[in-house]
Amino acid sequence: MNIPTPLVVLIVILGLAGIGLYCILATRNLIKVIIGLQILVKGAVVAFMLAAHLTQNENFGQTLALTIIVADTIVAVVGLALAVQIRLRTGSLDIKTISTLKR
Amino acid sequence: MTAALTLLTIGLPWLGALLVWWIGDKHEKIQHWSAVAFSLAAAGCAITLLPQVSSNASVTYSMGSVFGDYTFVPDGLGLFLSIVATSIGSLAVIFSTSYMKGEAQLGRYYAFVLFFIGAMVGLVLTSNMMLMFVFWEITALCSYALIAFHNDDPKAVKGGIKALVITSIGGVGLLLGSVVLYAFTGSFDFNNFLANSSLVPANVLGILAFGFLIAAAAKSAQFPFQTWLPDAMEAPSPISALIHAATMVNAGVYLLARFYPAFKAVPHWTEAVMVVGMLSALLAAIMALVSNDLKRVLAYSTVSQLGYMVYAVGAGSVFASQFHLFSHSIFKALLFLAAGAVIHNIGTRDMMAMGGVGKKMPFVQAVFAIGALALAGIPILNGFWSKELILEKGLQQGQFWLYVVMVIVAGLTALYTARCFWLVFRGEPRSEYHTHKTDLAMKIALAPLAIAALVSWLVVGRFSVLLGQSLPYHEIEPFPLKELFHEVISIPTLIALVFIAIGITLWLLRSRLTAFVDGLKSIRWAADNSFGFEAINGAISRSTQSLAESLRNTQTGHLSWNVLGIIAAIVILFVYIIVGA
Amino acid sequence: MEFILVGVGILACAILALSTRRLLISAIWLALTSALVALLLYMLGGPHIAVIELSVGAGLVTVLFVFAINISGEEVIDVKSVLPKPYAWGSIGIAAGLALYLILKTLGIVSFAEEISKTSLINWDSRYLDIILQVVLIFAGVLGVIGILTPGKSSSSKEDQE
Repeated sequence: MNIPTPLVVLIVILGLAGIGLYCILATRNLIKVIIGLQILVKGAVVAFMLAAHLTQNENFGQTLALTIIVADTIVAVVGLALAVQIRLRTGSLDIKTISTLKR
Repeated sequence: MTAALTLLTIGLPWLGALLVWWIGDKHEKIQHWSAVAFSLAAAGCAITLLPQVSSNASVTYSMGSVFGDYTFVPDGLGLFLSIVATSIGSLAVIFSTSYMKGEAQLGRYYAFVLFFIGAMVGLVLTSNMMLMFVFWEITALCSYALIAFHNDDPKAVKGGIKALVITSIGGVGLLLGSVVLYAFTGSFDFNNFLANSSLVPANVLGILAFGFLIAAAAKSAQFPFQTWLPDAMEAPSPISALIHAATMVNAGVYLLARFYPAFKAVPHWTEAVMVVGMLSALLAAIMALVSNDLKRVLAYSTVSQLGYMVYAVGAGSVFASQFHLFSHSIFKALLFLAAGAVIHNIGTRDMMAMGGVGKKMPFVQAVFAIGALALAGIPILNGFWSKELILEKGLQQGQFWLYVVMVIVAGLTALYTARCFWLVFRGEPRSEYHTHKTDLAMKIALAPLAIAALVSWLVVGRFSVLLGQSLPYHEIEPFPLKELFHEVISIPTLIALVFIAIGITLWLLRSRLTAFVDGLKSIRWAADNSFGFEAINGAISRSTQSLAESLRNTQTGHLSWNVLGIIAAIVILFVYIIVGA
Repeated sequence: MEFILVGVGILACAILALSTRRLLISAIWLALTSALVALLLYMLGGPHIAVIELSVGAGLVTVLFVFAINISGEEVIDVKSVLPKPYAWGSIGIAAGLALYLILKTLGIVSFAEEISKTSLINWDSRYLDIILQVVLIFAGVLGVIGILTPGKSSSSKEDQE
């Protein structure tokens, strides 16, 4: 059958976003949360490139996607540094244990 | 020249505030004297501005198209209030040099007092609505900071926060008004609005009018917002004299007086104003009658007299209300400062523990007596002339039953004043206390006020000319002294004097009236509980807290719940897009 | 055709990254996902970005993850998630479903929605505030149900203000 390319890629994007969000929602390990974030952002990068492809603006799209990848990498770096510090200070990466908001 | 003087009147106290704070608490004497110097300088500038009164803006800073022009107009109303603020401010500061001697953190105290004086002057001199709101909120902030000056005393802090919250609710009304004004007239300057109030459509004008009434009632502790003023008496006495008798609480009356020409045509507004004034006067007078705390009695009497001023504005005579404001500032400041001297000496505010103070402090007794006579409205003193003028105008306006209530309140005023004076100064001491001589600084502060209470009514002619010439929209006629005599010495005044005499005699005959007083026990109980208003306050604050506690359950602190919230928002967004915006 | 293959590969790797219990294996699956995404980006006409994605995603980030996991050490964490599973599945499912519907509608593939509820759509156009109200109500209701059903002591510190 003739499934148009954009539809396939859109479903991939949707899938990536959904899996990334689910990973952030349903895990208790802080580092897994960052992994989920990475998956989510990959979906965003693919979305930008798809839009660029559909409007024949590939170079512009690549520039935008570059910005996103850089930003996301920095987030991952800082996030991992935080996770390591939290592990060293409180001895646990469980989001339930490290949450100190008074109820 | 006018511009420089205007800026100095506002700027000198602010400069003084910074300087006193910078000097530091180690040099107490320098702090005292520089505070006095700055406030006196500001008073001097304000008085020097007097010959240059005009309805044109003296200072204009253009702040672009968004904020409009920051203008200051030294017209009669603003100038008179700024003279009151700075003069009584400097007297209160002089009094503080003795009252606050040896207190910790004096820098904070004087800085806030001076900051307040500058802000008050700015509030009454500006004609930019947004700037007025800013100054309004600054005065509320300073009031809170000074009420809660002894911030290790939980009662003081609670009183300060209560004052802040209630007056800020009023501030919201003012902000709303300024925004609406900008939306409909294109500028923040309210003189354009006063000239032509039809710039704003009728229903919006109504909202504006009642919003301002609420703002004024909250600031001036009128019904139904009167609960903050008695609790604000935790402040040191000079503060009570300055802020809660002579200046800040007058800001509400000032607001009503300033905007009267624009709002008088709004249906039922003037009636509402008169009713608010009447209710405040009546309820506060009854509550003053049953209170045992000296400063609380004076606080309630402030609310009551402000009720008179509000009533006068509603009855159509802005001049009468301003005249009474003038007299009231003087004698109320006098009463508060004298009470402060007594409390400072004896160490308690409870009148039941006083008695016979007059023998130990004759000077204070004399000045308090002058203030009390002015408050009660005894002839010759300034309170008599202004209160009778208000009653006359109220009678002329029409609503007869309101007038009757106000006359009865005049009698009640005399009654509680007599009671207060007697309980403190006459009779035999009811408890052990030690007194020492009144300080010179206190005497210097009290004496001018006492003299003013005797003679301030003589300037009524020049005062009316001042107001009439520089307030083009208010239509105030010149009112020479002869006119005052003519107006006031008439039958209604005699009737009012009869009521006052009844009030005083009731007190003198109190021992024979115990049966009558016992019969009124239920009223006494209601008044002690401030007619349920404190209960309403408590209920509102408790329900807000419990709502906050129950909403706290949504803040789990877990990442997963927060992300769920994000996804929920995304879902809503999608639904919105799908269904079509 | 190739797109479908690559797409399926990406989703499979992502799901595997999600469901593995050991963190190191999860990071490896993430690297593989990055590689396949780089391939997809190349196929979409962005060779430069594909190279960058490959080197950053499958290189830099993976190395960082391996470092971090080694420093912090693998620990056994209870698998049971904080959120009740149905909420997680449900919300993602609803969001994804709505997005899918939007995609299909925009691509013009699905047109049955228009035919079915033209009249009701016209109604919604004028009763616009009702929709907002309903959405707010639903949101508030969900929040309320969550709040009521959350296990935990209801802390009511009634400070008497009087």
